[in-house]
Amino acid sequence: MRRVGWLVLGVAILAAPWLVAAVVPRQQRYVLHVLIFTALFAALALSYDLVVGHVGSLSLGHPAFFGVGAYTAAILATQARWSFLTDVFAAGLAAAVVAALVGVPLFRLAEHAFAVGTLGLALVASVVANNWVQVTRGPLCITGIPKPALGPLAVATLPAFYWLALAALIVVVSLYRGLTTFRLGRAFHAVRDNEPLAASAGIDPLKYRLLAFTIAAGLAGAVGALYVHYLSVMCPEEMTVALTVNLLVIVFLGGVGSLRGVLVGAVLFTALPEVLRLAPTWRLVIYGGLLLLVVIRSPGGIESLLRRASR
Amino acid sequence: MALLEVRGLVKRFLGVTAVDQVDLAVDSGELVSLIGPNGSGKTTLFNCVTGYLGADGGRVLFRGRDLTGAAPHRVARLGVARTFQQVSVFPRLSALENLLVFLQQHQEEHLLARLLRTPRLRRLEAEAVERARRLLVLVGLAEKADATAGSLSYGQRKLLAFAGALMSDPDLLLLDEPAAAVNPTMINQLKDHILDLHRQGKTVVLVEHNMDVVMDLSQRVVVLDHGQKIAEGPPDAIRRDARVIEAYFGR
Repeated sequence: MRRVGWLVLGVAILAAPWLVAAVVPRQQRYVLHVLIFTALFAALALSYDLVVGHVGSLSLGHPAFFGVGAYTAAILATQARWSFLTDVFAAGLAAAVVAALVGVPLFRLAEHAFAVGTLGLALVASVVANNWVQVTRGPLCITGIPKPALGPLAVATLPAFYWLALAALIVVVSLYRGLTTFRLGRAFHAVRDNEPLAASAGIDPLKYRLLAFTIAAGLAGAVGALYVHYLSVMCPEEMTVALTVNLLVIVFLGGVGSLRGVLVGAVLFTALPEVLRLAPTWRLVIYGGLLLLVVIRSPGGIESLLRRASR
Repeated sequence: MALLEVRGLVKRFLGVTAVDQVDLAVDSGELVSLIGPNGSGKTTLFNCVTGYLGADGGRVLFRGRDLTGAAPHRVARLGVARTFQQVSVFPRLSALENLLVFLQQHQEEHLLARLLRTPRLRRLEAEAVERARRLLVLVGLAEKADATAGSLSYGQRKLLAFAGALMSDPDLLLLDEPAAAVNPTMINQLKDHILDLHRQGKTVVLVEHNMDVVMDLSQRVVVLDHGQKIAEGPPDAIRRDARVIEAYFGR
């Protein structure tokens, strides 16, 4: 019975473009747009959760890595005419390299200082994006980023991009699962739960923190690349601290350290503000009220509600 | 050659000398206790040996190899296991996983191998699970294997931490107050476990305030006071030593 349920859900997700066309033909483009955003945000939130949920370091610097990836892809695609897949790869690599470099000094900071340090990183990155006009064109934005193409296969339509975003999400989900279970996941969790004890078990806490931080940044950079290829524009506003707030809401209200929780969080908190546009005046009030409700009724996020329900 | 050799170790905190020129040699297979009044530098000495604190002077040698200044995880991988005075577990991992953490880092494995879960790694993991279950039975926590460590009682957590230290089959075991705040029944169990380890030829250094435990178990007792070694010898001699009595009860 449950198997059937998952199968139906899987088919529905895969067939979403046709379902949308059949159910809401007039708003097809808009709904697909929201779905694409949801998939990209889910992938980004999962990468963020690797650091926040699994090694327990409260990083507020994720927009910086997303931005480095987004700008790398935007510049390579418009100026150097790199192909889609190579610039996505380069974007992930660039973000990972930046993370590895800044991670070494940042992880010398204790818990709260680390959060402030990474917040500083995000602010600096945003200032650089705005002011390094020769490279990023600052507030004028980088425009004309080509639509993705996988070899001869152009991803030009909304449904095609939806499937591309979904494929990217599936890749991130499988990486997330591989990294957070078995021996690697156990080492991450040991460092998160009790750092001195982890060291007494032979685990190098800094190495594992850096590893999670770097991989997370690489994934965020790659998602950034997909994002700019979708929008075809990259502006500094895409990587402000507001993005951190979104990610914090998704991860903490969804369920920190849980695949299901973060996915549910991404769907709810990306799609919900859009659905609420039906009541424009009250939109943000309702959204804020719902956030408060989750925080008060279920501090462990929606994931803990789901766990209680399934028991 | 001694298994563990501490030579002229010095550790100062803001002008207070917590460990002052301490020499200590432990031979393979010995069971040695480190005693002394509160603040005499026992735990500080442990922390210097295991890399949690840097020394301000002196050297620490393990199997003749210089450990001075090595990071804790490196010391651990050389075969030195320790427990902590405060109950120390991974609260959100299950009891079984708590033990598994202690073995996996001692097995060389590539990051990619872990991600892909090679057959070799799966076999090692199965062996580790088997060993962890045996240790859980040994400390009487077999039924708690899947409970999160945070949900266990104080004494159970203490036993779990003890089992964790045994997981990698270390050459040298440093136990920091294993009997503190443990009920008498469990203390007897713990004494049996430590004696078993000793019989198996393990080298154990014990920091302990419970004199029954110290006197019953140790072959040799080392006494610290104000960071200095004031006496060393078999338990009976230590019990009668004038300096030791003075350190504990005052003049």
